[in-house]
Amino acid sequence: MTSTGEAVAFWILAPIAVIGGLGLIFARKAVYAAVGMAMTMVVVGIFYLILKADFLGIVQVFVYTGAVMMLFLFVIMLIGVDSSDSLVETIMGQRLAALVLAIGLTGLLFFSLGQVVFDVTTVQAGMDKVVAINASTGNVTGVAELIFGQYVWIFEVTSALLITAALAAMVLAHRERIRPKRTQAEWSAKRIRDNDHVAGLPAPGVYARHTAVDTPALLPDGTPSAKSVSRVLVARDQVASLDAFKDVERHLHREIEKGSEK
Amino acid sequence: MTTFQVANIDYIAILPLLIVFGTAVIGVLVEAFVGRERRHTIQATLAVAGLLAAFVAVIVATGHMGLTLGHVDTATDRHLFALSIDGPALFMQGALLLLSVLGVLTMAERLGGTGSDTFTPSGASTPGSQIEAVSARAGLITSEVFPLAMISVGGMMLFPTVNDLIGMFVALEVLSLPLYVLTGLARRRRLLSQEASLKYFLLGAFSSAFFLFGTALLYGYAGSVYFRDLSQAVSAGPISMNGLLVPGAFLVFVGLFFKIGAVPFHAWTPDAYQGAPTPVTGFMAACTKAAAFGAILRLAYTGLDTARWEWTNGLIVVAILTMVVGSVLAVTQTDMKRLLAYSAISHAGFILVGVIAFDQKGISSVLFYTVAYGFSTIAAFAIVGLVRQGGSEATHLSQWAGLGRNHPLVAGTFAFLLLAFAGIPLTSGFVAKYVVFSAAIGTGGATGTGLVIIGIVCSAITVFVYLRIIVLMYFSDAPDDTVAFVTPSAVTTFSIAIGTMVTLALGVLPAALLDLADRSSVFIR
Repeated sequence: MTSTGEAVAFWILAPIAVIGGLGLIFARKAVYAAVGMAMTMVVVGIFYLILKADFLGIVQVFVYTGAVMMLFLFVIMLIGVDSSDSLVETIMGQRLAALVLAIGLTGLLFFSLGQVVFDVTTVQAGMDKVVAINASTGNVTGVAELIFGQYVWIFEVTSALLITAALAAMVLAHRERIRPKRTQAEWSAKRIRDNDHVAGLPAPGVYARHTAVDTPALLPDGTPSAKSVSRVLVARDQVASLDAFKDVERHLHREIEKGSEK
Repeated sequence: MTTFQVANIDYIAILPLLIVFGTAVIGVLVEAFVGRERRHTIQATLAVAGLLAAFVAVIVATGHMGLTLGHVDTATDRHLFALSIDGPALFMQGALLLLSVLGVLTMAERLGGTGSDTFTPSGASTPGSQIEAVSARAGLITSEVFPLAMISVGGMMLFPTVNDLIGMFVALEVLSLPLYVLTGLARRRRLLSQEASLKYFLLGAFSSAFFLFGTALLYGYAGSVYFRDLSQAVSAGPISMNGLLVPGAFLVFVGLFFKIGAVPFHAWTPDAYQGAPTPVTGFMAACTKAAAFGAILRLAYTGLDTARWEWTNGLIVVAILTMVVGSVLAVTQTDMKRLLAYSAISHAGFILVGVIAFDQKGISSVLFYTVAYGFSTIAAFAIVGLVRQGGSEATHLSQWAGLGRNHPLVAGTFAFLLLAFAGIPLTSGFVAKYVVFSAAIGTGGATGTGLVIIGIVCSAITVFVYLRIIVLMYFSDAPDDTVAFVTPSAVTTFSIAIGTMVTLALGVLPAALLDLADRSSVFIR
């Protein structure tokens, strides 16, 4: 039977897991989605621990949340994900139809799964078996015996997936170097020859109260210079709005105008 | 303290799988260590040799049928085996290997270049970029396609052989992942190809999620992922748990329906078929379909057979929708590859009619149909890939006008294959449709007969589609002479010829294969 502690833990953690899952779907920014997923996976790991699957729970937290999701976050941060996805519907009413169908499917599943009555003795017997094996064989050893015993073929075939992943990554992302790599001297010679920003790209803007890489510099006519900020920040829509920083400038303008009126 | 039980392994029985996966791994090593000039030839030869060796191994394995890679739990008398080497599995493995030989041969077509003519020289370069052009000039090749295809074939062979739901999921991924990559590697119209690849990948991942969700529910129901346990749990099963069984069964079927392109899970098919390099399209259409139908048969006949009354109606609805939507939408297509994609969808519907027959005839008819359709479709796509205008494939239907006058032999072969798709007598398509429909009438009762009537009406619709192409090829004038059939090398000619000859042979003398399919229609669980 479920103990009170278990029930309390479940009813606290399950909504958190669901919120994380919803965050993964609905978050606009990729980083938030990744963090939402990490949260869900940590909670799922705790569920495994509650169910006496110690190894699985630890692996879930360490490997999935700790390694895989963090790697994913690094990738998002380093590559810079473009958030300029087009959200225009190409098919009329698609979103509405998707919503109706999703609600319908969820309703059906809720209705169907809600009717299920688990046989308490069977569930308890399964739980007792896990506890007994944990006590006698040990949790990690038990998992190993399954992986290298009856599931050995599936375990081995999974290696084909890893080979595919490695090979596919090479095919889709690795460019064979056809020409020798340019040295720094050659780059600089080329830049001067092409007259391509010989003095380097413009620095970010420096304002009276603010200076950072996300603030574009102003051109003589007062418009922000696109070249003064990293295009990754532009793609992520993380460039600061200049209105606040230009307040001082506007104030000065007003003063000057007032002065000239006098 | 339980004692560790070592899995009993019959190495002869799994030799075909080991050879195919082994060839793939050797292919990866070849990719790493062999110079670019010889890589294409070595990879193609290695792949074909591996496939043929595996086919011999399949013949040897027929003497080693049974469950393998696992053990019998003596305490509970449960059969915990990963693989079931039985008639349908070996039949499918053999068929897949032969189809893959033809598929790989068409992929290897060079048309005088350094690498495969249909694959991009550099998959990592931006389409239309300078790097792409320079890579092509430097003679770069993407010979990784051969190991990828081999891994995919391995997964396909595994798909109808597995004996549990987890194994089925892993096989599904092993066969799908390489296909997603292969789809995105076309040499021409690369943006279309990459878009197709992404769509295929996203929808495939989506369908995998459905499959896993269903697996979890079925595990919750039966407490085991093995088909035998599942079947027994259903016959002994408590009614109060049916809330897990029914959605579980449907969700697992949804995952498999995605792979065969059954309506309403067909949305990826036209785009992926159109965007993929044409030989890959043929390979996908023939082999993925065969493997997925093998898996559907195993699930329907060994895992969920006792729960049949729960899901048969759903399957019938899907079969009807697939036949009708595939046939009707084929009428409106203007692109040859999309047209064949919709034709593939309608064929999936016809084969599903055979699945619903629920007896040995049903199994053997499905086995026969997938083989017959596979050979025709690989040859058809091989021809589509060689009709060119200005260097790129002429896939728009208007470009095919008058092809029969300029290239009578090619157009004649293609017309014959189209007649096979339509199911005209003296082609394999007729025999295939006949056995599937007669199996459905034989045991399906009124529903079976109803399905067959719908199937015949839909066949009539597709006959119109195919005849329109034949009329276009023979009875309309070519706009100009720029559309030409590029003469391929011996390997592609060989695979087109074999595909066509098998189509003819199975139409005239189907008895041998029908007999073989009949004899291999008993599942072991």
